[in-house]
Amino acid sequence: MEMTAPRSASATRALPRANPYLDIESYEAEGDLMVLNMGPQHPSTHGVLRLKLWLDGEQVVKAVPYLGYLHRGVEKLLEKLTYVMSTPIVDKNDYVSSMTNEIALCMAFEKLEGCEVPRRARYMRTIVAELQRVASHLLWLGTFALDMGGALGGGTSVFMYCFRERELILDLFEELTGARFHYHYHQVGGVRHDVPAGWDARVHEVAARIRERIPEYEQMLADNPIFLKRTRGIGRIDAGLAQELGLSGPNLRACGIPFDLRVLQPYAAYDEIDVRSVTAEGGDVLARYRVRVQEMEESLRIATTLIDGLPAGPIMGRKPIETPNAVRPPAGEAYVAIESPRGELGTWVVSDGSPKPYRCKIRPPSYHALSALPWLLPGTTIPDVVVILGSLDPIMGEADR
Amino acid sequence: MIDEAAARLVAERFGLDVGVHGPTVPPGRLLELARMLKDELGCGYLCYVTAAHFSEEKRGEETLPARFVVVYRVRNLDRNTEFPFRCEVPVEVGVPSLAHVWAGADWQEREAYDLVGPRFEGHPDLRRIMLPEDWVGHPLQRQYAIDTPHAPWR
Repeated sequence: MEMTAPRSASATRALPRANPYLDIESYEAEGDLMVLNMGPQHPSTHGVLRLKLWLDGEQVVKAVPYLGYLHRGVEKLLEKLTYVMSTPIVDKNDYVSSMTNEIALCMAFEKLEGCEVPRRARYMRTIVAELQRVASHLLWLGTFALDMGGALGGGTSVFMYCFRERELILDLFEELTGARFHYHYHQVGGVRHDVPAGWDARVHEVAARIRERIPEYEQMLADNPIFLKRTRGIGRIDAGLAQELGLSGPNLRACGIPFDLRVLQPYAAYDEIDVRSVTAEGGDVLARYRVRVQEMEESLRIATTLIDGLPAGPIMGRKPIETPNAVRPPAGEAYVAIESPRGELGTWVVSDGSPKPYRCKIRPPSYHALSALPWLLPGTTIPDVVVILGSLDPIMGEADR
Repeated sequence: MIDEAAARLVAERFGLDVGVHGPTVPPGRLLELARMLKDELGCGYLCYVTAAHFSEEKRGEETLPARFVVVYRVRNLDRNTEFPFRCEVPVEVGVPSLAHVWAGADWQEREAYDLVGPRFEGHPDLRRIMLPEDWVGHPLQRQYAIDTPHAPWR
């Protein structure tokens, strides 16, 4: 499908690039050179990430992230499990956005198998994906405010408010799927549960409640001069480098690039609704904050519009899956990418005709976001390191897999 | 959607068939193709680099050696097009690194090296990224057993 081209892929002006390969042996420090280990148990490393920072006085001169503390060998596991058995495994990848993980995996398998998903199931996928995006952004907003710590009088109030609203969405999901975090809702060919009676009205209620609260968060954060001082112009990344690093989602849209797979490669029911993809200029922490907050309102609009127009019909496009070997795509390969709350979540799957994938690669947006750290951190100070890391919204379960 | 301009240029200069999954480029010309895609065709977005391992197999008369297929996907966000390409090498042969073309290839190649095993030549910092530095073997290779313990046990 021919879509309108993004305005310009070089929206932000190129910035001088830091040297992530700085040879620290030959580096001549102005002050005292000190090595600081941040993590893996540091509360603001958002999971178990270790950053090794070389400080010249107060300034970071080199940053080396160490990953892998949450590596569970998911890609190897997927090779050993049948197609049917793999959805609950990927639930745990991006553990604050399980719905989108399942969608990305199931859509890749469906593409391999050539399986049609009924319209009602596609609507349901879109609705839960958008609600999940709101829940995920709320969690991000809360923890990000917590990262700011003292600047916001402790920061815990925003954190608690965000968790209160996120709870409403988790309740909706619990009613729909029976689970609060790891849903196993999607299957190859459709979704597993139909809408319970009265669920659509409750979606509207929850959306109205959250819509009311978003301006309050904005008041607490974006109207706070200390918050603005700590975010404006901090952690700037230009569009060129962001693209080379494969940043996606809000991180890339904050550089002024309207790259949104819901618009550019519509999947599920996104081709039946107008999605306004939110962009911001500047590529700094504040821009990333703005994109995420505005995206929540847009997601609520999409979810409520779609639930009103939910078509009747089946929710499964194939005969019910009863045995583990039921899905057996022909030999071939497929790459499918969706817009998860963190960006482009892709699955590259190779089949050899057996009931298990030959190779299944997951392209996690968080891993790409973390790869920007060695470029972003040099030249900043420790309090900024925490803010920049938080603004990229990494989930280690997904980055390490 | 595959970038038409790139497909045309690849067919013209490299004599390769693009197909659905992109052309298979000989390792000797990989860097040339990467530079062409980035500098001439504006494919500035590196989507992912990954690899798959295939063990030795008999295909009719001939025996294919154990090999790595390294898979790349780049995008041109101005035109909303993408271009996948791949490189196939026997396991003992290295693949040229693209980290100097796209900065993001650094971590992507480190992950592929760590889990699957191809060596990227000219990479600025080819270390393991997921597994500990002293890990033996590459888990995503076909012969790597999942159900037996691997030394060092931890």
